[in-house]
Amino acid sequence: MAERNHFLDGLEGKIGRTAAKKGRLYFEVAVKDLHDVVRHLFLGQGCRLSTASAMEMRRGLEVLYHFSHDATGRYYCPRVVLTDLEDPKMPSIAPIIKGAEWIEREISELFGIVFEGHPWPERLLTRDHPHPPDRPLRLRRKP
Amino acid sequence: MSKTVVPVGPFHPLLEEAEFFRLHVDGETVTDIDVDIGYMHRGHEFISERKTFTQSIFLVERICGICSTSHPIAFVHAVEDVDDVDIPIRAAYIRTLIGELERIHSHLLWLGLAGHFIGYDTLWMWAWRYREPILEIFETITGNRNHYGMMRVGGVARDVPPEAVPPLLETLELVERKMDMIAKAAADDPVLRTRLKGVGVLSRQAAVDYCAVGPTARASGVAIDVRKDEPKDAYGLVDFKVIVLENGDVYDKLVVRILEIVESVKIVRQCLERLKTAPGPILNDVKETSAGEGIGRYEAPRGEVFHYVRTDGSNRPLRHKVRAPSYVNIPTCAASCKGIPLADALITLASVDPCYCCTERAIHIVGEGGVRAQVDLAQLSRQKTERLRREIHG
Repeated sequence: MAERNHFLDGLEGKIGRTAAKKGRLYFEVAVKDLHDVVRHLFLGQGCRLSTASAMEMRRGLEVLYHFSHDATGRYYCPRVVLTDLEDPKMPSIAPIIKGAEWIEREISELFGIVFEGHPWPERLLTRDHPHPPDRPLRLRRKP
Repeated sequence: MSKTVVPVGPFHPLLEEAEFFRLHVDGETVTDIDVDIGYMHRGHEFISERKTFTQSIFLVERICGICSTSHPIAFVHAVEDVDDVDIPIRAAYIRTLIGELERIHSHLLWLGLAGHFIGYDTLWMWAWRYREPILEIFETITGNRNHYGMMRVGGVARDVPPEAVPPLLETLELVERKMDMIAKAAADDPVLRTRLKGVGVLSRQAAVDYCAVGPTARASGVAIDVRKDEPKDAYGLVDFKVIVLENGDVYDKLVVRILEIVESVKIVRQCLERLKTAPGPILNDVKETSAGEGIGRYEAPRGEVFHYVRTDGSNRPLRHKVRAPSYVNIPTCAASCKGIPLADALITLASVDPCYCCTERAIHIVGEGGVRAQVDLAQLSRQKTERLRREIHG
């Protein structure tokens, strides 16, 4: 993918395992490099955060950010894998992208991931719920 | 020291899905806004992971009752993206036709509601009168006025019957003529301009920061449209313009939607013309999906609908993420509502295109508690228009 070089210039050493297909680039980044990658995509390259998605896999909790580069119609998706399933923590990107506030609150509520530095880390869906469910999208994988 | 909080919601026909806006006001001015969602969380993603891909199409169709074909289109795009499935050319035109007809009826619905909000009840009645024949066309083509069940992975379920084409062309001609009239009226009407110009401004930078999409972003000068940025189906084969305005106020959001209806009419006409000669079939037989992940999106009337599908090679998604446009557009109200008069709050909230109502209440909180006053927000908004009308026309 020729655009990768142009797009991810300056992030050498911070891009892990990569999967490229037509118009999409999924790549892994370490938790400590996430802010640099997000700043590069959002502030440097003018990408828009479509949303983020999380899922629980055997190797850990994956958080995948979907950045849309609207000028070319391509997607750049950095993926963070959290191996600590008991106490998953990662830095919030909401201080950089205001539009990430809701989705991080939602992921935190559904998967129990703590986003450190989030400006308003309240539950999104069950804020006034008397008995909010405990990390509902992880229950199915309990032993 | 007392503060006033005006609650809009949680169960409130202003909003398609139940949400809770708390407007903090100081006198007549909105100082802050607090949005609370989750009252209508139905667990679509969780359910979808237990359905086959074909079953999920019917499930995601029921996420929204107005733009009910946007989610299925985005979902089938996501599943097709896993394996780079192509669809037949005839199916591409039919998908585009259905999507654009839906945009027309959704924008007409909003136009009527916005008119009602600011006291233009004639606009409300006429806009909905023009929407009705579109829904009837849908019934002829798909068998339903809404929830069409047209999308399939690899194509569409039904062809456009020949008997639907003449009434559709007549309706398009009517809608185009009337939109032209409404656009001129909106430009000429001094009351409407005074009422909506400069109201609820969302700056370009705020639209970028909040990652806003659709007409909400385009009215603020952000030129994004999935139909142009990543043209799927027949969008790369038809000619249309992306409407982008600069001011970010409610007036520009109104004009963007009116002009988009005109563009949609053009697209539908082109699709009908090409369908005369486009060869069948309408569905490619997709037997299996391999392991992988796919992103599908579609420009719904309110903006980009985003679906992400992760599969393990079975006939069900391992993970299915859905992001509707209102999810990113509603938080922009925090930027556009700050510092505006209470009488303008309703039309500003409505300008991102949630649904609509006229039974608003205000709770006056004195100190720590106590409910004192009730105000009808819709009444406030309509009174302001009436006041302006008297000032301008005497």
